[in-house]
Amino acid sequence: MTELRIAAVGDIHLGEDVRGQYRKRLEGIEDRADVFMLAGDLTRHGTLEEGRLVADELRGLPIPTVAVLGNHDYHSDLQYEIAAALRDAGVIVLHDDGVVIQCGDTKLGVVGGKGFGGGYAGKCASEFGEREIKNFVAHTRYIAEAWKVSLKEMTADLKVVLSHYSPIKETLEGEPPEIYPFLGSYLLAEAVDTAGADLILHGHAHKGREKGMTPGGIRVRNVALPVLGRAYAVYCLGENGSC
Amino acid sequence: MEAPQYVAARVQQALAEDGRTHELGIRVDIRGDQLFLRGQVSGAEQRERLGQVAHEAAPDLRVHNEIMVVEVTEPGEDEHLD
Repeated sequence: MTELRIAAVGDIHLGEDVRGQYRKRLEGIEDRADVFMLAGDLTRHGTLEEGRLVADELRGLPIPTVAVLGNHDYHSDLQYEIAAALRDAGVIVLHDDGVVIQCGDTKLGVVGGKGFGGGYAGKCASEFGEREIKNFVAHTRYIAEAWKVSLKEMTADLKVVLSHYSPIKETLEGEPPEIYPFLGSYLLAEAVDTAGADLILHGHAHKGREKGMTPGGIRVRNVALPVLGRAYAVYCLGENGSC
Repeated sequence: MEAPQYVAARVQQALAEDGRTHELGIRVDIRGDQLFLRGQVSGAEQRERLGQVAHEAAPDLRVHNEIMVVEVTEPGEDEHLD
């Protein structure tokens, strides 16, 4: 197995006023990375116009491009239409499922979706009480279970989980602790630790930190654009060499 | 007189829910008759819209728009996860 270079970013929040600007930063990405991953919040308001703008920015990239949507992309209830626009532009959009990308000799498996909140072990919501609280936690639990199943069923040399919400609180440091339950859930990390993966990428926490790890020792990277401060980060997985 | 904490909360809510902005995570501080906006956005027009929505939500306060526009720079150095 050779080394695989993963370019990743989240929370690019593109709007009409910055059309074309992000695309400029993607020039030459094929020389830097083998695959490009987007961790949600690609739009500001989740409108179809913004979704099409994002699709135009990502259209025809020379390396495989995988994306999940974020909470902003759901705001106008047009998430499926936005996903369709992205797929038409050649982007693989995950919705609590997975894909295997052949990259040279390496099979890269990517599992993921939006994720959701609930908080972190010891300080989190439970499926108890009002229906609204139970629905909130059950939504995260459903997603975590889907990721676990997808990871377990997947045959790949390397596995990456792509999420919008954070599986751990370590990469949220800098955000107010009071809003942690709305930034992610430990259920996501628990599911990935159970099934196994080589890397987890997420966004959502603009004021958080880039680096962390799950209780099971899986590396986690918060790739939100304001955290990275650059067009995308590149993470190299596997052995020395090039893909 | 309305407590400044409630005014700040109302402005923050407006920034998140107004169709022109939908921006979460903008910090709103009120000191006397002055309102400070802090945070990061992806474009200069979005920063101006946030200032406008904040002004409309609290018209009696002087708005100081200290929001930064994130400059998207070159990708930089790779990280090897051995």
